[in-house]
Amino acid sequence: MIVAEQKPLEEIRSMIAAYGRVLLLGCGTCVTVCNAGGEREVSFLRHALQLAHMKNGDGSHEFSEFTLKRQCDPEFLALLSGRTEEVDAVLSLACGIGVQAMAEHFPDLPVLPAVNTTFLGVADGQGAWDERCSACGECHLEDTGGICPVTRCTKGILNGPCAGTKNGKCEASKEMDCAWVAIYQRLERLGQLDRMSRYHPPRNFQVVPRPRRIVVRTAPGSGEENG
Amino acid sequence: MSNSVSHPGMVRQCGSLDHSLIPPCQTACPLHMDIREYVDLVAQGKTMEALQIIRGGNPFPSICAYVCTHPCEESCRRGQVDNPVSIRALKRFAVEFGGDRMVQAEAETTQPEKVAIVGSGPAGLACAYYLRRRGYPVTVFEAHSAIGGMLRVGIPQYRLPREVLDVEVKRLIQMGVEIRTETRVVLLDLLFELGYKAIFLTIGAHQSLRLGITGDESPGVIDGATFLREVNLGLKPSLGRKVAVVGGGNVAIDAARTAARLGARTVRILYRRSRTEMPADPGEIEQALAEGVRIKYLVAPTKIRREDRHLVVTSVRIKLGEPDASGRSRPVPVDGSEYEERYDVLITAIGQAPQAPGDFNVRIGKGSTIQVDPVTLTTNRNGVFAGGDAVTGPATVTEALAAGRLAAYRIDDYLRHRYPTGTATRQILPGDLKVETVEAIKKLERRIPEVLTPQERKKAFEPVELVYDWETAVAEARRCLRCGVGAEILSQERCATCLTCLRVCPYHVPYLDGKGDIQIPADQCQACGICVAECPARVIVLRSLADRRSIDEELEHVLGGMAGSKVKPPILGFCCQYGLYGTGALARLWRETGAGTWIVPVLCVAKVESEHILRAFEKGAEGVFIAGCGEQCSRENTAFYVNQRATRVRKVLQAISLEPERLQTFFPNEQDLAAEMDRFTEAVGGYYLASVMAKEVKQ
Repeated sequence: MIVAEQKPLEEIRSMIAAYGRVLLLGCGTCVTVCNAGGEREVSFLRHALQLAHMKNGDGSHEFSEFTLKRQCDPEFLALLSGRTEEVDAVLSLACGIGVQAMAEHFPDLPVLPAVNTTFLGVADGQGAWDERCSACGECHLEDTGGICPVTRCTKGILNGPCAGTKNGKCEASKEMDCAWVAIYQRLERLGQLDRMSRYHPPRNFQVVPRPRRIVVRTAPGSGEENG
Repeated sequence: MSNSVSHPGMVRQCGSLDHSLIPPCQTACPLHMDIREYVDLVAQGKTMEALQIIRGGNPFPSICAYVCTHPCEESCRRGQVDNPVSIRALKRFAVEFGGDRMVQAEAETTQPEKVAIVGSGPAGLACAYYLRRRGYPVTVFEAHSAIGGMLRVGIPQYRLPREVLDVEVKRLIQMGVEIRTETRVVLLDLLFELGYKAIFLTIGAHQSLRLGITGDESPGVIDGATFLREVNLGLKPSLGRKVAVVGGGNVAIDAARTAARLGARTVRILYRRSRTEMPADPGEIEQALAEGVRIKYLVAPTKIRREDRHLVVTSVRIKLGEPDASGRSRPVPVDGSEYEERYDVLITAIGQAPQAPGDFNVRIGKGSTIQVDPVTLTTNRNGVFAGGDAVTGPATVTEALAAGRLAAYRIDDYLRHRYPTGTATRQILPGDLKVETVEAIKKLERRIPEVLTPQERKKAFEPVELVYDWETAVAEARRCLRCGVGAEILSQERCATCLTCLRVCPYHVPYLDGKGDIQIPADQCQACGICVAECPARVIVLRSLADRRSIDEELEHVLGGMAGSKVKPPILGFCCQYGLYGTGALARLWRETGAGTWIVPVLCVAKVESEHILRAFEKGAEGVFIAGCGEQCSRENTAFYVNQRATRVRKVLQAISLEPERLQTFFPNEQDLAAEMDRFTEAVGGYYLASVMAKEVKQ
């Protein structure tokens, strides 16, 4: 899941300072789950902004709020018709994908990000999340016992551990588990320790041409073929 | 996609239907009283409001407060956790402290048809009450000299003080019910000739069953109903020193305890089964034993002989056999176990039956009961209805009241030429609490009202049970689990399945079903409201409409008042209404904090959302506090979540250069509340002054 966190109130306030009528737009999927931009956060942020402007009296704002199920698909964005015409800017609480999809869909409307899209991660109980995937595009979790060294090893090395591992912790931080020790223990459990001796050639650190694109199905007449 | 707040009023669009379910107590109550509601009001110390709810579902709550056999308590799910809520005692508290005696009853005659009620027992009086409320002229005919039926002549005074009954009767007369005592109705046709358009027969079951053994008509053998009637009508039958009571029901217990009060030296109950099978109320049995009544189980008299002014009673020992049709073990006499005992008086209390005069010409069924259609309560005769013990055989007061009310409605239908209509629209809450839910629920000791000491009791016919004091009543009422008004997911469509509810629930109630959807089973939810205030999609709501809206509405109401006030600086407090906190300690505190403090009453601070707090500041509050009931709280983790939300709001305050100390949470037991509050108001005053001066400098 995409994990994001709300920007500091100060940053958001300076971002919207130039706009009078602002639509706070929540997203009902990932950012709702990670408590950053669902319907409750939209409401919370709106009240916080209103309070800020009431107390500090800098300019006048008029806020409206709405939450879509997803901001990353144009079909959902079409549901906003009637709400976007009367605002000067949209403050999107969706991840960076949602913000961009919005900007693309409404070319004449400033779309501002209210959250920092942080990582792809997993929940650790209530209210905490850990990064798990770097979306590198070259998955080798089958060799590493389902533990990603690219994300969870500070150095991101494919043939670990390095000499900086100590008592299962990383030299970069005593709080952090060494991903390669975890991989070793996991492979031992699975009876696959032989995979530890397998050599992975260095990752391709050449600049991957971006943005990347995946085509799984094509629509008739799109002029594109399956990738 | 979700449609959220339409305006800053924060009153959410979340469906207008009340989805609360009928709790087991209400289902068990013959009158289907809204027990959950009035117990909750008692927990808030709102006795008058509680009484209002009680009176809405019960014509004579003061009577039920004394004598109801409280089937509600048997079905109370608190009993699955520790012990049931003492519902009847709480009703008694609400009746006494809510001012039931002051309630005036009035009724206007709007219908032309006169109705005759034959018998003035609970069923008859209830029927009269509801018919009057529907505008019919009503006459009650009573054969005895006093009104009340079994309430008057059956139930001993120590269980139902007669002034309680007299108040209710007076109220009926105030409502315009015509009462004719010492008028035995012998012919129904006569009533029709007198112009009555409908008749309700509620003649009770006053005929005691006979033992059917040799000598059961000897002098010195008296039946329980007659004995109690004589005592209750002011006679003092001479009992001698040794009294035996045969039977195991409430009448047997009543007779035994009455005999003890009349001065009998020894009173012994002879019962043919064991304690577990005894149909009498366990509490009453306990009280009888405490008063010195002795109970001999597994014996049955077989022969009575009169011998020099005593009774020689031959009894046989009993062993219990296979269960019979009633589900209880069948008593089997043990051969050769006969023994003799001497008594002065023997009271039989082995059951009673109705005795309808043959001239009534109504069809009689099993056990001499009057046969009626169970839905319409009509007998075989046109315009003649029947109910109460006369139809069911001996039953409880509350059942009789329910029968009387039903009869009134059906007589109304009959006279208005309507078909009876059903009224139930809400669903009944099914199921028991699961083990893991029970484990998570805080155990709270059941408070039982105090009783007079056995010595004091035996001296007189004063009511044995005392009424709760305020503190105890509130504490007891807070034990209610509020079954059936918990949280529900308003729309699976809008649910992000983020699992927040599953993770924050202190009772492990929400779960993922096989399809991967979150379910919050209504029969397990404890209605604490934590998930409602935490749900990131704001898709969880409380089932009851009132609960759902209360904080939003109260907050807007208070903010409106605050905006119009000139007293500065305004401070707003979200205050728990439960327990003494909302009614006693805190009420005093509010007064002490003086003008400028505005209170939003909340039913558990766990339901206060971060947005509510922000909104209070936004609308001009210079300080906000949240006061929960701390360790008194009957729910789990409420203070934790309130503090967590407060921390987040404080960060916002800080970000806009407001002192985070302007938001404070109070949970007594940790703090000296009064001193803390003083410090808080003083600090807010300081912040306010500073900000005003800063503004002036700016200008």
